[in-house]
Amino acid sequence: MGGVSHFLILCWFSVLVGAFFGTLTRSTFREGFKVGALIALLMVGVSLIIAYVMFFLPLGG
Amino acid sequence: MSTSKEGGRVALACLVAWLLPGAGHWLLGRRAKAVVFLALVVATFATGLMMQGRVYIANPEQPLTYLATFANVALGPMDLIGRRMFYERIIYAFPSESDPDLYQEIVKLNRNKILAVTHEYGSTFVLAAGLMNILLILDVFDIGIGRKR
Repeated sequence: MGGVSHFLILCWFSVLVGAFFGTLTRSTFREGFKVGALIALLMVGVSLIIAYVMFFLPLGG
Repeated sequence: MSTSKEGGRVALACLVAWLLPGAGHWLLGRRAKAVVFLALVVATFATGLMMQGRVYIANPEQPLTYLATFANVALGPMDLIGRRMFYERIIYAFPSESDPDLYQEIVKLNRNKILAVTHEYGSTFVLAAGLMNILLILDVFDIGIGRKR
């Protein structure tokens, strides 16, 4: 895999997990889509916030 | 009589859910969900394998690998494909040093895959696919016994 985009991998993982839990926890497509999209967006958003905070931590390297 | 028949139906649904993600939901009449679940779990697992993700084998020196191996085995026959691709054989336990040839071969295969940039991501995808299928089996059980509508 040349040119790995860590962000795209994060987005793809979030979409899969969001869609899974949206389908699992809701009975209609509309509700499932809403929940799935919310989970996916939260996963990406929280990950970016954590990544931003970690940027300032003296972790070496 | 009808209770044991019902119990058998639930057990069968759980078994087929393990054999093929979504098949349990299909058996219980939730066909649209079944197709979505199959697509999602297969996509997650395939992405993991394409990223050189690891299929875990139980290693007594690393107890957490037992949990990871359990999560992998939860994928049913798909797990066999992963093991075949990663280790070129079906293997569930890390070989002991009393079998030096196999031990060296497994260590070498692990090292080669670990060098891939996406190895950790891939392993996470493969594990996530197994955990998804565990949730699906539990969901089928809940639907089967009437706990979930």
